[in-house]
Amino acid sequence: MTKENCDDAKLMVQIRKGDQSAMRELVERYKIKAYHLALGMVGNKDEAFDISQEAFIRVHKSAGKFNADQRFFPWFYSIISNLCKDCLKRRAKWESKQIDIDDNDFLLVTETNPEKIILKKEAARNLRKAIMLLDLSSREIIMLKHFRDLSYDEIADMLKIPKGTVMSRLYYARRKLAEILGEYE
Amino acid sequence: MRDGNWQKFWVNMSEEKYRILLSGYIDNELSPDEKQDFEVHLEGCAECRKELESFRKLKEVTGAMKYADIPEQVWEGYWSSLYKRMERGVSWIFISIAAIILLCFGSYHIFIDFFLNSEVPLLLKIGIGCGIFGLIVLLVSILRERLFAKKRDRYDEVSR
Repeated sequence: MTKENCDDAKLMVQIRKGDQSAMRELVERYKIKAYHLALGMVGNKDEAFDISQEAFIRVHKSAGKFNADQRFFPWFYSIISNLCKDCLKRRAKWESKQIDIDDNDFLLVTETNPEKIILKKEAARNLRKAIMLLDLSSREIIMLKHFRDLSYDEIADMLKIPKGTVMSRLYYARRKLAEILGEYE
Repeated sequence: MRDGNWQKFWVNMSEEKYRILLSGYIDNELSPDEKQDFEVHLEGCAECRKELESFRKLKEVTGAMKYADIPEQVWEGYWSSLYKRMERGVSWIFISIAAIILLCFGSYHIFIDFFLNSEVPLLLKIGIGCGIFGLIVLLVSILRERLFAKKRDRYDEVSR
């Protein structure tokens, strides 16, 4: 079986045995996802890139602890999520180093019509600011639903919470986000 | 609680339940029964209709945006830069092991060659011993302070 056809759990078993090509395959599979998940949480491209790489290093180091019966992605997500929390804690401690969201265009407009693009750019700027004003748990669920378009079951699986909690957390997060955006209008 | 207050409480609870269902409704995640129940409620609830509209608008705004990507050449070099970082990680592990071994070896020889050496004046032994003891106490104190600060971190709510 080629590495491309291997499922994640089998790749993890091979990584545990020291197979670098299995590690490379896993990285190719998840590098963009990892970067986007981190970007949504920390809102800074350089930090998100660094977190995505650090997450793979942790995967490599902890391959021995991975249980082959569990699904890889929720486990990997918890590593990324913890790294993002550490990053935000460090940033909060060094307030002078807080990022300027205006300079960190982590969300871009998909509009191509030049007449509409200016309005959309303004909306994107407001949305970026509003998202970064949310508490971490609200921001996390908004990013997973609105920008990764995951189902409630998938979010529940990743965050290890019941589906009903996903619905309620999403409701309060959306309400908060709509309130903040309303203040900018 | 008085009867009137209970009634108010249950009305609020029921209203809150529908508010939460609103998220499931907009994402098409409700069961057919829940959906029907919610739609009946929606007809008679102006507040929920208003909130539904604001959520739809929010979905429209976020739907017109995507994550900023990084240039293709950065992705191409991703594995090689990650590999270098992993290699460096292994180097640090060996450097740490070497440092621990050297520290243990050095401490042992200081103890044998210095403190157990009868030719070294007692006063010098006491002086050096006090210095080492002071450094150890200082290190423990700093470590304890760090741990204490971590436990009382005011940004602890960022942990799930």
